[in-house]
Amino acid sequence: MAERRGVIATLAPWLRLLGRRRGRLAAGAGLMSLALAAALGLLALSGWFITATGLAGLALAAGAALTLDVYVPGGGIRGFAVTRTVARYLERLYNHDTILRLLADLRGRMFAVLAGLDGRSLAQRRASDWLNRLTADIDTLDSLFLRLLAPAAVALLAILALAGFLALWSPAAGLSVASVLGVAWSWLTWGQARLGLAASRRRIAELERLRGRLIEQLQGLAELETYGSLAARRRHLETIEARLYDDQRRLGHFAALGSALAGLAVGLGWLSALWLGALAWQAGALSGPLMVMMPLAVMALSEALAALPMAFTQFGATLAAAERLNALDDARRDAAPQTGTSLPDGALALSLEEVSLRYPGALSPVFDGFSLALAPGERVAVHGVSGSGKSSLAALATGQLVPDAGAVGLGGLPLADIAAQDLADRVACLTQHTELFDDSLAANLRLAAPEAETSRLWAVLATVELADWAQALPRGLDTRVGEGGRRLSGGQARRLALARLLLRGPGLVILDEPFAGLDSALAARIAERLDAWLAGRSVLYLVHERTTQACLPGVCRWQALANGAEPAFAPPPGIFQDGAKH
Amino acid sequence: MAQASTSRAWLAGLARAERGRLGLAVACGLVAGVSTMAQLALLAWLVTALLVEGRELTSLVTPFAVLAGLMGLRALAQWGQEAAGLAASLRLRRRARGELLDQLARLGPVGVTGHHSASLAHRVVDQVEALDGYVARYLPQRYLALLLPLVILAVVAWLDWLAALFLLLAAPLIPLFMALVGMGAERLNEEQFNAVARLSRHFIDRVRGIATLQLFGRTAAATDEVHAAADDYRRRTLRPLRLAFLSSAVLEFFAAVSIAVVAIYVGFGLLGYISYGPADQLTLFTGLLALLLAPEFFQPLRSLAQHYHDRASALGAAEGMVALLEETPRRSGRPSAPPRAARARVELEAITVMHPERGRVLGPLDLTLAPGEMLAISGPSGAGKSTLLQLLAGFLDPDSGERRTAQGMAVAWMDQRPLLVHGSLADNLRLAAPEADERAMRRALDAAGLGQLVAGLPDGIETPVGERGAGLSGGQAQRLALARIFLSEASLVLLDEPTESLDADSEGHVLEALTALAAEGRSLVIASHRAAPLAYADRHLALRDGRLEEVADG
Repeated sequence: MAERRGVIATLAPWLRLLGRRRGRLAAGAGLMSLALAAALGLLALSGWFITATGLAGLALAAGAALTLDVYVPGGGIRGFAVTRTVARYLERLYNHDTILRLLADLRGRMFAVLAGLDGRSLAQRRASDWLNRLTADIDTLDSLFLRLLAPAAVALLAILALAGFLALWSPAAGLSVASVLGVAWSWLTWGQARLGLAASRRRIAELERLRGRLIEQLQGLAELETYGSLAARRRHLETIEARLYDDQRRLGHFAALGSALAGLAVGLGWLSALWLGALAWQAGALSGPLMVMMPLAVMALSEALAALPMAFTQFGATLAAAERLNALDDARRDAAPQTGTSLPDGALALSLEEVSLRYPGALSPVFDGFSLALAPGERVAVHGVSGSGKSSLAALATGQLVPDAGAVGLGGLPLADIAAQDLADRVACLTQHTELFDDSLAANLRLAAPEAETSRLWAVLATVELADWAQALPRGLDTRVGEGGRRLSGGQARRLALARLLLRGPGLVILDEPFAGLDSALAARIAERLDAWLAGRSVLYLVHERTTQACLPGVCRWQALANGAEPAFAPPPGIFQDGAKH
Repeated sequence: MAQASTSRAWLAGLARAERGRLGLAVACGLVAGVSTMAQLALLAWLVTALLVEGRELTSLVTPFAVLAGLMGLRALAQWGQEAAGLAASLRLRRRARGELLDQLARLGPVGVTGHHSASLAHRVVDQVEALDGYVARYLPQRYLALLLPLVILAVVAWLDWLAALFLLLAAPLIPLFMALVGMGAERLNEEQFNAVARLSRHFIDRVRGIATLQLFGRTAAATDEVHAAADDYRRRTLRPLRLAFLSSAVLEFFAAVSIAVVAIYVGFGLLGYISYGPADQLTLFTGLLALLLAPEFFQPLRSLAQHYHDRASALGAAEGMVALLEETPRRSGRPSAPPRAARARVELEAITVMHPERGRVLGPLDLTLAPGEMLAISGPSGAGKSTLLQLLAGFLDPDSGERRTAQGMAVAWMDQRPLLVHGSLADNLRLAAPEADERAMRRALDAAGLGQLVAGLPDGIETPVGERGAGLSGGQAQRLALARIFLSEASLVLLDEPTESLDADSEGHVLEALTALAAEGRSLVIASHRAAPLAYADRHLALRDGRLEEVADG
């Protein structure tokens, strides 16, 4: 929370990230300033020129002899006109480039942060709407420079430079412009940000709440309709919408107030410059054309202030995005030791002793004093219904989860002492959900062994009977598998994930429903070949039901994953006939 | 593009309902524009009064005060324009969302199954929000961009028709360049949007698989890859951007050049170098005012160009929404006739259900359900078990035949993935019976086998359930839904694979509890491919080729 951490502290990591590109940022802001200066110069010089020619024309008509150089100002006016266009064009292009570079930096940084999260934090964040919000938050921070920092800095610079310029002829006018527009600038940035902070911070969360409730409603439409609760749910949605729109109305009114004040401040600025300039002219301190130029230059500043209120009223949204991303950073687990004890060669023993594990917010723990021992070379099958903790068991054994209590050991060593890379190299896990990346077949396989030669890839594909299929594809191993492997059938994806595992040389293999989605004849053929590869390794199978049809090669022992916390399920007899007893 | 024109018509219809507020926004915009012009005229007059007529500053206090007043008026009008546009936008969005929600309710559970719930929610929430800029800013600005330049042109023409001609010279080019800007904006929007979406998908793809990357020890390499993908995207995007930005630069260029041309024309005219046309009648007042009005002539057009992408995104969003609104529900919503048999609760007679692609999925079939009956329906997946339940529930009308139900029959529904709403356990129970007291809820929890677990929780039935049932295992969620059925008064209970995620022990207990429900006189229909539910039922029917066949017990 910003209140606790302070705005600067919340934004500090992101400002540091921006700081790495400070040269580019300065150049971008410079181009912005140049475009503004040219716009200002165009109007000011034109006003000066017309007044000068008007006065000269009157003098000439009165018979005075005087010469006015029309070519230098005329050239200046044309020059400003062209500079303004060119500078604006370059500025947009250059800053867009910068923004995209920053995006790459931000995405890279956030990915590194996410890679350091443990299984528990990641498990909460699998949902696609969470991922969408993550990318939206990154995009929000991406615009920190272009929407907030640069316009505010350029506007302040322009106000001060112009005030200084005016002070050369009329110190009073310079001072008045500096104070009127300085106060306005503070209000339009800091004041607007404060005004909109609470509402703009809530906005994204309210939108997300509306979306979440609606998804709930759509998924449970059958139940809601039959229970007759749709009308009540509709009212609930409308309440959230009303709250959202109250905030939006408030923010819109704040922003409108800001734009109106920006216009008023620029107006009062040029009015005071005109009054004080006229005083100075009457005192003979400056010429008539210069007197006209002063208010016109101030008038051109409205371009610099116009975008500030809208951007700063929404400042809370930027802050909230930064807070959410910072929270991820804080959730990062203590990095697994880069150096540590090395695991012994060959098959590895696995032991879980009195392990307890509870997910945050869960009604009951997944494990409450669970123990499991797997001797080197042993093959144990653990069975339990979905939700009984099979995936959590795999995550504990691979170090992605750390138990709340109890000890996990591998190869006779505590898991926490083993170097991260060693753990990744020596333990292989086929997770329940097949995870393929939107990349080629080869790239998905090489995830397991980056240096693997093509012939090895073909060999493992042959083991899972995918080689013929892959050979028939027009692009062979370069065929892309689509998002999450969507272009493959469920069975093909499963087999590809299994083939990927075969490229490794682990001492412990964890197979979570290895043949899910495969027909039994195919599963039996693959199991036979798998048996040979599993020789000399410890194996932990995780399956839904204890059955002989699972084709698990060489199971030594079965163990049930009884969920200790799930209560025995026995409704008291007669409860429906006579509820009064209870 | 019929689709684009209907979505445009739909948007226009929505906007028509807000024409009062949008009109107010335009009126305020006009007042702001005219007061700006008045300010500039007064400024030019003041300059002439001071420099040409040599009036004393002290005698000019009133015009200065009027100027300040005009600035206040302009600020007020500007605020009014934004506030009125916002009000119109909020009301319009609320109405659009209401229409979509009504349509979703009409479509019902069967109608929405064809869609991904997240993408429907995106349409109803985010795409409706995408209309904001179009309504609040683009629509009023479209009128202002036409009216204000015309007013300014008329004033400048009255001051000096040649200066007006210089402004007008750029004007015929403006529609052309507006079109270019528009095309640029649209292309930018589309291409940028697609490219950003592609990049985001790449990022999300890698984030989703981060646990796998951790397992393979490849997170460092993947981080570099994420950075490289974003950088590659940057290099590919910049080329089209160069062109897209050019079109708006052209508009800027004409604005700047017109100001420069007017300034030089007026200057030379004042010096008497130009004898053609009205130039010799130019005064400092008319010349200065013409110059000051030149940027104002282009300002509304520049604003419109800025809001142009609002239009593109609103039209894109409207297409998705109109597509949803045009879907026809598969039910009429008319009440059904009462059953003919005296003791029947539901009757199906010679029913058939067709599927647009798969042809006939059900029927012709007949079915009568009596109170207190527990009926099991089996069949391979895809045989139409769920369709039959949907038909019984009234989510779907038969294509032929008749469905008759008892008057005022309440239905309870439960499927593999029960609905869990964000809130407490009690909130989730009250979905079925809003008036239920704590004792009734506890009894229902006991019946579903959750009583002991909930009693052990520090907050009891007030324990919060996370977003989409987070914190509950599949079995726990199933039991909570079951407790809801016990709590409800529904006389017809429809269950689609209710014991799918339960182990054999729990399954037996759930089925016993369901038998007790039937004993209360409720009618139960269980669709399942598992053996246990079939064994518990009074009657077992198998679905084969869309027809029901009696299966003998045993």
